[in-house]
Amino acid sequence: MAFGFVSGLSPFDPATPVNSPTAPPFRPIDPARRLELHLASHTVELSHARKAIEQFAASQGFDETAQAQIGLCVNEAMANVIRHAYSGVTGKPILVIAETPVAPGAVENEPGPVLKITVRDWGNGQNPAELPPKPYNPLEPGGVGLICLRGLMNEVTYTPQPDGMLLTMLKRK
Amino acid sequence: MNPSIPLTSGTDLVPSARQEGTAVIAAIRGEIDLHNSPELRTAMLDVLLRGDPKKLILNLDQVPYMDSSAVAVLVEALQKLRRVGGKVFLTNLQPRVKGLLEIARLDTIFIVVKDEAEALSK
Repeated sequence: MAFGFVSGLSPFDPATPVNSPTAPPFRPIDPARRLELHLASHTVELSHARKAIEQFAASQGFDETAQAQIGLCVNEAMANVIRHAYSGVTGKPILVIAETPVAPGAVENEPGPVLKITVRDWGNGQNPAELPPKPYNPLEPGGVGLICLRGLMNEVTYTPQPDGMLLTMLKRK
Repeated sequence: MNPSIPLTSGTDLVPSARQEGTAVIAAIRGEIDLHNSPELRTAMLDVLLRGDPKKLILNLDQVPYMDSSAVAVLVEALQKLRRVGGKVFLTNLQPRVKGLLEIARLDTIFIVVKDEAEALSK
């Protein structure tokens, strides 16, 4: 796993209003507010990623309960990628990015501090949100991961990509 | 009082297991996710096969974290016990594990008790 606090380009730089006609569309976000994890599709990466994300969430002021929820959701999202998007094949890329566009208005209609996490894979493009709906039965296997994401994060969006899937999760303080 | 018969699990994830009458009491240890939950599943199925319990008591005192794949192992054990009219008790839940069971709506399906003694008395 390669990870660290890195700078990058993001449309969520709070210094730049998203809809400003004069500002450039992208500006570097503060490195202290962005974590990028370049991972491989192997289950040994789950705990590394979870702990790195939890540490990042802590550094952004999220309390212990929220840290645990965020870590669990990243774990579940990655496990879904490994099991379903990559069908258990190891060594495939997973990119997890966490960032905190903290300023009000940095995200359209976003009133306050928020942690944005994206999980990008280059797998089979299966959209978990489009699986046939069935009533959740705790005694049947499967489904708990998605229940966690939807129950613990404020927003969960799967965006199909030409070559895989992008999951975006928002967690507000 | 029933004699306590040790059961070996062959994995550090289940550092101790013993049989007391028709009950099997096992401790689980470690952070459990998709990486090691298959190992936990093998150990649990082995303990269930050899102990053939009507009551399974799992002490989760040393489990600070588990994900949905670990929950699936617990549910599989529960299903096996239910088929023979048995019950599964979970003791000493840590906050993260408790939170996961709650959101998965499993906190009312397993019997959650304070400790092993309470589970044995039920």
